[in-house]
Amino acid sequence: MITRFALAALVLSCTAIAGAYLSAFLPGGAPPLAAWGMALGAAGALASIMALGAARGGKLRPIALVACVLTFLVVGGAFALALVLPANEGKDAVIVLGFPLRTAIVLYGVGIVPILFLPAMYAASFDADTLSDADLERVRRAGQERGA
Amino acid sequence: MSGYFLLEGTSAAMRHPAIIAIAVLYFVIVSAIGIWATRRTKTASDYFVAGQGIGIVTLAIAAMASTLSGFAFIGGPGLVYTVGTGAVFLVLSASITNTMGAWVLAKRMRLLGEARGLITVPDAIAARFRSPAAQGLSAISILVAVIGYMATNFLALGLVIDAMFGTGLTLGIWLAMLVTLSYTVAGGILAGVYTDLFEGMVKAAASMTVFYFVLKAGGGMAGISRAITAVDSTFLGPWGKMPALAALSLFFVFGLGSLGQPHVAHKFYMLKEPRKLKWYPLLMSVAMAVTLLLYVGVGLAMRAMTATGAIAPLARADDATPAFVLGFTPSVVAGIVFAGVIAAGMSTVNSFMNIGAAALTHDLPRAFGRRVGNELRWGRIWTLALSLAAVIVAQLSGTLVAFLGIFGYGLFAATLVPSLAVGLNWQGATREGAVASIATGLGLTLVLETLAYFKVFSLPTGVTVSGLALLLSLLVFFVVSWFTRARAAAQLDADIRLVMEV
Repeated sequence: MITRFALAALVLSCTAIAGAYLSAFLPGGAPPLAAWGMALGAAGALASIMALGAARGGKLRPIALVACVLTFLVVGGAFALALVLPANEGKDAVIVLGFPLRTAIVLYGVGIVPILFLPAMYAASFDADTLSDADLERVRRAGQERGA
Repeated sequence: MSGYFLLEGTSAAMRHPAIIAIAVLYFVIVSAIGIWATRRTKTASDYFVAGQGIGIVTLAIAAMASTLSGFAFIGGPGLVYTVGTGAVFLVLSASITNTMGAWVLAKRMRLLGEARGLITVPDAIAARFRSPAAQGLSAISILVAVIGYMATNFLALGLVIDAMFGTGLTLGIWLAMLVTLSYTVAGGILAGVYTDLFEGMVKAAASMTVFYFVLKAGGGMAGISRAITAVDSTFLGPWGKMPALAALSLFFVFGLGSLGQPHVAHKFYMLKEPRKLKWYPLLMSVAMAVTLLLYVGVGLAMRAMTATGAIAPLARADDATPAFVLGFTPSVVAGIVFAGVIAAGMSTVNSFMNIGAAALTHDLPRAFGRRVGNELRWGRIWTLALSLAAVIVAQLSGTLVAFLGIFGYGLFAATLVPSLAVGLNWQGATREGAVASIATGLGLTLVLETLAYFKVFSLPTGVTVSGLALLLSLLVFFVVSWFTRARAAAQLDADIRLVMEV
């Protein structure tokens, strides 16, 4: 079930990106909406292919599910905020954590925040949901049977 | 990623004794690793996948080292200096791609190695789809990209060696090739992985040290930002001087495209203990984040200092890193950075030598139903032949070499992401879909990049060949697989199905 959902989300994300690219061919260039298609499409593509990889037996266990949803929300949200907030990166710019506000949201939100939760969630779910000793033994046995 | 630069104005400063001493020491250590690895390389498995015997820390740092080529230290900071924040979108997805790669690729690739003893990325595609055609096409894609990548990195290395030792460019290129070749052809990927480990640590140390001096020279990140925003209201905007669509397109290509980079994916075969993959995302993410500090920091600091008038504007953007380390860090740090640049180029070239030789020795013969008798010997011969070809290409015109280097990442992404990353995780994918998507990615990338190079046709602002080719190859993969879905189940062997279900 989740595999189908992840595939549908990946196709939908690719369609959004295709729409953004197509609009760039319009006379006058890409409309502002194109950036939204690319922002949400790119965030969706990464989150959905991650879900596709994390799924086992057509199911996504809670930690992996939260990781994928959180990735989409954090990345898509950071890009969305950068697109929505008014530009203020001139001499009156508000500096937050070393950068103008919108830039700080993108650089820290997309570039740093996922590091704080993704590797930890992957490690936390690894033994139970990703690769156990029993899984490894099954694959080794299958390899030996094929070779025999 | 690859990049090169000209150092005419900085050559004299680079010939400081401390800088040269560190560079020589670096070459001695790399040679020692090569000799050690040569004694341990006895089979094709040793040569191509390090005998499946490397640890997780080595794997993570080696993967980081081969991912971040000289571009991360030279071309990248130059791009940041030119277009501001927009250039960061090339590496912004690194916070996600390591965990994503672990879930999507790492486990499946390593288990394929366990079940089938596979040694190359095209091997994995062939096993998944039972398709020699897919193996052959993906091997051709890899070869095309590998030659370009190797040529650009040899050129970059030649320029650095010339600047440091005054050898002249041609001799510099040949020296770079000979040093890299000597440890690769003898010690194979075993030498490559352990030199990557050493080189990765050099790069990380160089990056952190330089970032400290960036903050010191610029008065902290806030000081750097205030200096820039006072004179330029777009440089530090969220997309820098690029349109939002173009910056976000880079994020898409380098994010999703990371799943199609064979020099990283094939390293998963080498891990000794598959369950240690648990720590791969953490180790790789930290290593990447630390090593990318220089990429982001130097370009911004140099722009800030030109904004305040502390330094004159750079004649060439790619001089940002050389000019910064020579002007604002001690000679020892500059030496470590230039050793880091050499390390970056050599570790990337070494990986490409190995996967290129594997494509010629292993994948293409198998695609035609043949097997090479002595893969170790032929692997070494093809490594030599590929290196010679790349050196000859590196001495051609700079624009041609740059052209060949540019599309490597995109070509890998467009040809390998659908069949490898999606194919290993979707049992409904078919070999017809895989072959069609690889052919689409290869054809589109070559045709559109060539048309753009000869200025016959170019895409509108915000649309890149890499992005378009990746997108269309994905869509072709889905559509063709859907139309041929009745054949999907019959194309899947029982052990491969198990690897995909575990």
